[in-house]
Amino acid sequence: MKKILLAGFLTLAFLPAIAQVGAPYIHDPSTIAECDGKYYTFGTGGGGLISADGWVWENGAVRPGRGAAPDVIKIGDRYLVGYSSTGGGFNGPHAGTILTMWNKTLDPNAPDFAYSEPVEVARTLEDEDCDAIDVSFLLGPDGRLFCTYGTYFGFIRLIELDPVTGARLTGNQPVDIAIDCEATALIYRDGWYYLLATHGTCCDGVNSTYNIVVGRSRNVTGPYLDNIGRDMLRGGGKMVIAAQERLFGAGHFGRFVVEEGVEKMSLHFEADLDRSGFSVLAIRPLLWRDGWPEAGELVADGNYKILSRRRGYSLELAVDFVRAQGGKPFWQIKQGEPLMVLEGQKLADVADGWPKGTIPVRMADYMARPHQKWTIEAVPDAGGYLGGPYYKIVIEGTGRALAAAEGARLETVPAFTGASRELWRIDQLTDGTYRIMPKEIPGQPPVKAKGDAGNDEALCLVSVADSTPGLGRFDFSSDNCKWDLKLH
Amino acid sequence: MSALMKKSIFFILLAAFLASAGLSAQNPVIRDQYTADPTARVFGGKVWLFASHDIISPVAPERKWFCMADYHVFSSEDLMDWTDHGVILSQENVPWGKPDGYSMWAPDCVEKDGKYYFVFPNAPREGRGFAIGVAVADAPEGPYRAYEKPIPGIWGIDPCVLQASDGNTYLYWSGMGLQGARVKEDLTALESAPVRLDENLPQGFKEGPFIFEREGRFYLTYPWVQDKTETLAYAMSDNPLGPFEFKGILMAQSPNECWTNHHSLVQYKGEWYLFYHHNDYSPAFDKNRSVRIDKVVFNPDGTILPVTPTFRGVGITPARSLIQVDRYSALGHLDAYIEFLDEQRPFDGWYVCLSRPGAWVRYDRVDFGEEAPETLTFRYRASRDCSVYVSLGEAGGLFDLPASTSWKSVCLPASLSTTGLQDLRITLEEGADLQLDWVSFGDDGPVVFSDSSTALEKYMVPAGDSPARPDEDGFVRRWLLLEPISKPHRTNNDFTETYLRELMGQNYFPGQLSDVLPKDGARANKTLRWHAFDSKLFNVKLFRFASNLSEDRYGKLYWMATVVNCETDIPDVRLATGSNGASMWWVNGKEVVLMDGDRRMVVDDCASERLTLKKGRNVIWGAVINGPGLSDFCVRFLDAEGKPVTHYTITTK
Repeated sequence: MKKILLAGFLTLAFLPAIAQVGAPYIHDPSTIAECDGKYYTFGTGGGGLISADGWVWENGAVRPGRGAAPDVIKIGDRYLVGYSSTGGGFNGPHAGTILTMWNKTLDPNAPDFAYSEPVEVARTLEDEDCDAIDVSFLLGPDGRLFCTYGTYFGFIRLIELDPVTGARLTGNQPVDIAIDCEATALIYRDGWYYLLATHGTCCDGVNSTYNIVVGRSRNVTGPYLDNIGRDMLRGGGKMVIAAQERLFGAGHFGRFVVEEGVEKMSLHFEADLDRSGFSVLAIRPLLWRDGWPEAGELVADGNYKILSRRRGYSLELAVDFVRAQGGKPFWQIKQGEPLMVLEGQKLADVADGWPKGTIPVRMADYMARPHQKWTIEAVPDAGGYLGGPYYKIVIEGTGRALAAAEGARLETVPAFTGASRELWRIDQLTDGTYRIMPKEIPGQPPVKAKGDAGNDEALCLVSVADSTPGLGRFDFSSDNCKWDLKLH
Repeated sequence: MSALMKKSIFFILLAAFLASAGLSAQNPVIRDQYTADPTARVFGGKVWLFASHDIISPVAPERKWFCMADYHVFSSEDLMDWTDHGVILSQENVPWGKPDGYSMWAPDCVEKDGKYYFVFPNAPREGRGFAIGVAVADAPEGPYRAYEKPIPGIWGIDPCVLQASDGNTYLYWSGMGLQGARVKEDLTALESAPVRLDENLPQGFKEGPFIFEREGRFYLTYPWVQDKTETLAYAMSDNPLGPFEFKGILMAQSPNECWTNHHSLVQYKGEWYLFYHHNDYSPAFDKNRSVRIDKVVFNPDGTILPVTPTFRGVGITPARSLIQVDRYSALGHLDAYIEFLDEQRPFDGWYVCLSRPGAWVRYDRVDFGEEAPETLTFRYRASRDCSVYVSLGEAGGLFDLPASTSWKSVCLPASLSTTGLQDLRITLEEGADLQLDWVSFGDDGPVVFSDSSTALEKYMVPAGDSPARPDEDGFVRRWLLLEPISKPHRTNNDFTETYLRELMGQNYFPGQLSDVLPKDGARANKTLRWHAFDSKLFNVKLFRFASNLSEDRYGKLYWMATVVNCETDIPDVRLATGSNGASMWWVNGKEVVLMDGDRRMVVDDCASERLTLKKGRNVIWGAVINGPGLSDFCVRFLDAEGKPVTHYTITTK
């Protein structure tokens, strides 16, 4: 929350491909904002991170005022940046001030990069059950600009700002909406306001107990109730994300909507075991189940079946079906015969019969055959997109890789070369299914997802027919564009 | 409360708050407990108020009847700021009385030769009905010592003593009609046979005689059921024992159907006052009453003008104190009304709601002194932006109050060229449903009255006399809290189950986990005391208990205890707890909940195994330990369906 992290220069021999790469060292990251094709997040103490692709992050964002836990929101063609001027930690003072300021750009090298004079929008006294730090913004569905702030020291409060000036609305009185949490974020979706809040204790390295919970309300002023109807003013909250196997202290939620059905959440983990225990930026898919947000998972390296949502068929190589050997039909087995364990079909049983060059793909019901088994692995140093690395998708046990081909076709190539057409962007969608999208389609301009930096239309893996895959426009409302990835 | 106040720092803060609130003197005049049957006497230049002390029965709370176990006495020099001198006599200390009779009804007190004779009815140890006894002290506030025997030959209630100008002392009471007799100066025995006083008076139930002498005439005043409930009526005579001639009604029956009324009249600093009672703080149960005062005016012929009961009461309210406008002199029209701030906590008082433009409230006799006010602070709540016009005689001004869904204090600049004594009137000009708790012309408004204040009274107040009940969600809000024990911890990860059992298993004070709880104010050891509180919130804010005691407020171990009284066994309940940080809980000496680790306040964070709350007393103990956090806790019982249990009372005894 209030510790100022000095981003060090790190050289690491090995990083799991699943972590944000570059130097994503930050504490209390602001909601990710996009500006002129790049992504930005600001942290406690001043400064922040910039990423060209959303996966590789480096220091370089500029924010004056130091202080704690900023937030940023784009309103019209300007960015409103909020931060708190103070913050004293556990035993320190709790007099806080929330300030806002505008900038036309977040790019510190842009000619018109200049912050306006900060305006105070909230203040708490030392002797008060609130600590005016940890600001967050929401531009509501009706264009009203809300701001929450506060820490475990008393109440979380809601105020309303003027979206034109960034100043507090005249006469606006704060409303208490939660207790015993901090680093809140207010979001709106489908008729509900959601208050995301960080529970637990920060700044204790691998013993940080930070975790993110949520409550929701039909009214922006609350009451924010959890899934069993408990008010956040009485400690209610439903878990969104807690510690991971090697990451501790999940805090400071931020939501980024890429497009309909594709949402990301940003947060920090206060201690990354793979990076000396530094506090790091993390971006996860944001899922919605029964009206509640959940953290999705990045696709982990592993062996998967890739199943269409259209019919449930498995993506497979277009090769001859080979009957599996061993055993006999069940009606020929006599009662009382000793039981035997039969082997399934193995790669070696069939691979020699496959063509050596490119092989097309198709779909069929899953029969656990080698031509239906895929290995998905993140590709080091291949860059990525907002919240994920590029993956290769190969037939398990081989180098045969799925690739986009000219004419917006699909095929497999005998060996993975690292070419852009063999690299795949995989986004977990808000309903938990996946969108699979090539980095490049030969003969077409570089692919950019809608809502990404660039805003181009993108083609993704689709079911053209039950048995026929292809590349087509993404449409969240169609199961033709969605896939399930199941470990096997 | 007064003994506590002298001793510890935060009670000084509390006392300062109460003192400032106390200056604002309206009806009822005693605002932290029930009081009834007031007899006001002037001793040594002060008014002393001897009253019955209504409580909810601690033994049979469901039995809706009169219940009185002791007497307090209160004194004042201005009829506004009352000092509670505490209990002067309780039922266990009357040698001839039933120690559990709960029948300490309407009293009186007179002074003779430096001795104070306190006269009271009570249920005798043997026999039925009521006898009348006497207790004697050297000062009005006591200590009083009760005579061994009641006054012989009297069966009745509502004693009243008259020290007449003829040099005789007379005693009056009710029992088989209104009775009177000459009595010895020390009230040990009657000196004449009792005389019936009411034989010439109109028919109807009568009780509570109060007799006084004024300009050579004797007034017999008494509660009288003319219609449905008690009026106050009076009759006059040239002789102390009558015959009395009926003169009329002094106060009409209550429109709210509080069945009883009981009163006294007193002359103080040249003015006459009527002390009486009404069930202001207990609208649903008229046996829990509260004392009020209004002014009395005599006609030249000695008859009395009927007294209209008011909320405003008597006295002048300083402009720079909290002006409780809900205790109004008049309301503009039907679109203005009052409500309790918190129905669960009637002693918190009321607010006035101006529901539509045009609605107004008037509060008379506000004293500005010689300086015009510069600010006006409103404590209010309104779902819409409102605007009010404030008028003070010739002066006046408009004030804007932005919408606020929670109670807020807003201090606004006010240029009102007004001084001296004024009647304050507030009219809603724009908006709707403006709820006003109080206003003040104090220029230190933002500091003293700010909602940002973390004074203890925002979180908890000294426990009331009557047994408490769980709130509507079942939270137990009455607790004995021990001042915190210093136990610094850098992190709450340290609070493992093993560590907590070891830490809380140590002996910190005698009687730890005992079935007998310490008294409010008792010392647990050389440095730490116990305090009984009623939390204003569902959770008990231990952090604010600590921060009001000392700057050093983190890293504390807190002990707490309370008693849950059940009329019958309540089986299959669970103790559900939340705490910041770790805590441990015991019911009737048995550990039932242990909450380890880095906890935040979460309602129903942990629950015990099923247990039975037994008929009678159940003693709950708890301990909360915290490193860096804002310590608090909440406790309730849940039934087998997970619903809160609420049918029990809570005491700390």
